[in-house]
Amino acid sequence: MRDLAPQPSRPRVRYVSPRFQGPAVLAFAAIIAIGGAIFWKLVDGEFQRVIPLAAVQGHYTFGSAYDIVRDLLAWHLAGLFVGVFLAGSALVLFLVAATRHGIGRAVDSLRVSADGDLSTPTGTSAIGEFDRFGKKIDAARSDTLASILMARNEVAALAAGGIPPEEFRLRWDELKHRIRRIAP
Amino acid sequence: MSGPEAAGKGSLIHRRYVFGLLLRLCVNFAGGVGILFVILFFALSRPLPGDYAGVFHALRNLSPFLRPVLAVSVLVYALLAFGSTSALCVYILHKVAGPLYRMELVLDQYRSGAPTRTVSFRHDDQIQPLAHAFNQWVGALRRDRQRWLATMKDAERHCLQDEATCHTKMEEALRKVAGDMERYH
Repeated sequence: MRDLAPQPSRPRVRYVSPRFQGPAVLAFAAIIAIGGAIFWKLVDGEFQRVIPLAAVQGHYTFGSAYDIVRDLLAWHLAGLFVGVFLAGSALVLFLVAATRHGIGRAVDSLRVSADGDLSTPTGTSAIGEFDRFGKKIDAARSDTLASILMARNEVAALAAGGIPPEEFRLRWDELKHRIRRIAP
Repeated sequence: MSGPEAAGKGSLIHRRYVFGLLLRLCVNFAGGVGILFVILFFALSRPLPGDYAGVFHALRNLSPFLRPVLAVSVLVYALLAFGSTSALCVYILHKVAGPLYRMELVLDQYRSGAPTRTVSFRHDDQIQPLAHAFNQWVGALRRDRQRWLATMKDAERHCLQDEATCHTKMEEALRKVAGDMERYH
């Protein structure tokens, strides 16, 4: 018999983040398009030159047009592959470096936060997604600092004395409640 | 703070992950070029007539016909390469994009004041130190919070004695907590 009891919902794994993967996909598309356009331009020029020339100068028979353009086609295809792969590799290395830099700054920022520095900006990088992420971290740190400063001011006010006992107890309990809300 | 310093530990993005990405990219582009070669090979390998005049005319006619063939084959190459590279980007980069998305949710949750659980990524995800650093920060905050509350609670125990002692101990506790909070700036 089927168990109709509600199953605990599992966190959904999200594979696509258009803000992060989108620009990378577009950059790869640009590399492929530019590579293809250059290949088309060069090979078309060569075909238009070589094939009519072979038609005029050919005193022997060819098996097929492929026999005429085999070498130049092979070289241009190799060039296309090398060019696109090198440009793609450069893009990958750039993405990795940007990620290491951006996330590295965020990690450092969280580490110094653990030592009490909640005000130095993360300063991730100008790259959209990392910049946004760095601002989110800064906002969380800033909120935490605001809570702590508020509690600290209240602590200082209570420690200064001169408050009637009834009010002191009320504010003492309120302070405990406020401290409990830090990093819930 | 230095990003490169943290990155220099090599744990944010593993070398193996980068090499794997480059290898897949290489296979992907090689496949694209291979398909382009196959299309052009079939377009160009039509047998020519045996005599000189036949070859001359066939080649003269082939020349203008090759331009659209080349354009279409390059277009097919570009579309195939773009499609497979996009799939590769989504498949590979989700190991960075996924944890980033997860951390964003955790940060939103943290800011909303909801209880925040320890963050852990999938075992093959990249940028693992981010989760560790966040847990370390929240852990330090919680330890401090517990210490402040324990100090206050300890002062409250003196309220079982007389009112003056209670008040003195509470003020002492407050000064201690205030001193402790000074490290946050």
